[in-house]
Amino acid sequence: MGLRTEGLSRRFYLQDALRDVTLTLPAGSVMLVVGPNGAGKTTLLRILATALRPTAGRASVFGHDLVRAADRVRQITAFVGTAHGMYEGLTAAENLAFAAAMSGRPDRSADALARVGLAAAAGARVRTFSHGMKRRLALARAWLLAPQMLLLDDAFSGLDADGARLVDALVGEVTSAGGCAVLATHQWERGLHLAHVVVGLCRGRLVEVSAAAQVSAPRLSALAGGWI
Amino acid sequence: MTAWRRAAALARKDLLLEWRGRETITAMAGLALLVVLLLGFVLGAEAARAPAILWVALLLAATLGVSRWTQAEVEQQALETLLLYPGSREHIYWGKWGALTLLLTVLLGLLLAAIGLLFNVDLWARFPLLLGAGLLGIAGLSAVGTLFAALLIPVRGRELLMPLLLLPVELPVLLGGVRLTEAILTGSPGGGLWLGVLAVFDILFLLVAPVLYTVVLEEA
Repeated sequence: MGLRTEGLSRRFYLQDALRDVTLTLPAGSVMLVVGPNGAGKTTLLRILATALRPTAGRASVFGHDLVRAADRVRQITAFVGTAHGMYEGLTAAENLAFAAAMSGRPDRSADALARVGLAAAAGARVRTFSHGMKRRLALARAWLLAPQMLLLDDAFSGLDADGARLVDALVGEVTSAGGCAVLATHQWERGLHLAHVVVGLCRGRLVEVSAAAQVSAPRLSALAGGWI
Repeated sequence: MTAWRRAAALARKDLLLEWRGRETITAMAGLALLVVLLLGFVLGAEAARAPAILWVALLLAATLGVSRWTQAEVEQQALETLLLYPGSREHIYWGKWGALTLLLTVLLGLLLAAIGLLFNVDLWARFPLLLGAGLLGIAGLSAVGTLFAALLIPVRGRELLMPLLLLPVELPVLLGGVRLTEAILTGSPGGGLWLGVLAVFDILFLLVAPVLYTVVLEEA
């Protein structure tokens, strides 16, 4: 099993951001997480990335417990959050070389930049990049890490049609190697064709878990808009 | 090997960002030189006052620099990404410590030159000893500073809080640094005791701080 959660919950002070979420995702599959703002999508992904600890429940990624084996989970996971997490005073190539060194991977930054269409901007400082270019650079970092578990928060934010195809290619590469991907997005139309499982969240609660082929467009719109 | 590669990459990244922005070193050097000038003017530019003025200037400038030492991660929202790389967070500590130590060593060089000129002290004859004493003090300053910089990441007014936390803890470094520098400049005995104080402080914090650092960053 790629991902398993049991009663996963997270509370911030008195506010429940995620309540009792139980899910499974087989290896080689893609999960699309939809929900309105404040539904708990980012919290779920940050917990899966080990950036946050759950306040209740447990979860494992490819058999590794998120809390007890957090470092093992980090070795096989790439998380692209809503913040690009790049150093703006460094160039694109320097940022990726840093990521490679920190994660103990070989420095294949030139290849990764070429894959996301930023080869010509390798020597430019990230400060000069547009939002979409920064997002592509974050995808290049995920590529460099060659993860088994790919977590994309607001997966298509700032990306044009070419950029969206990069997400498709990255997800395809991860899943074809037996890995998993979890994509959180408002733009379900752009991610549905990749998904095997659709998960709906509303106010931290799980309101939908279905096979992607069985969820209708009106239902997805309702889930994304929080009308459920 | 991985530990060394990670720590070196982090130190290189911090120094490269500092080299390109030169924000921290400029502010630190400006403050340190101002303190030297002001104290020299108020107390008199006598050679006997030089050690105390040198170390007070270095400590105040270090306090200013330390509070900015995690700024790149905080301002550019890169902290979470940094913490999600696999591997011990002690490596992050050593990288940050190494870069801060190098930055403070550059500052020490500037301060020694300024003190030598303004206080008419012949530093060059004892330069290796003075540099050694300075490095011993700087190692301790950086050890505590790196830890406190992480500790105050979630605090909104960390620049205001940093001196209140850092200055009392760094008192042994200040005292040991001043007394050891005095002993080196005057050639008087008693330097061994203060050398021991600085060495014990360094060893203690370099052993404990990396462990505490991982705890502090557990969910920063």
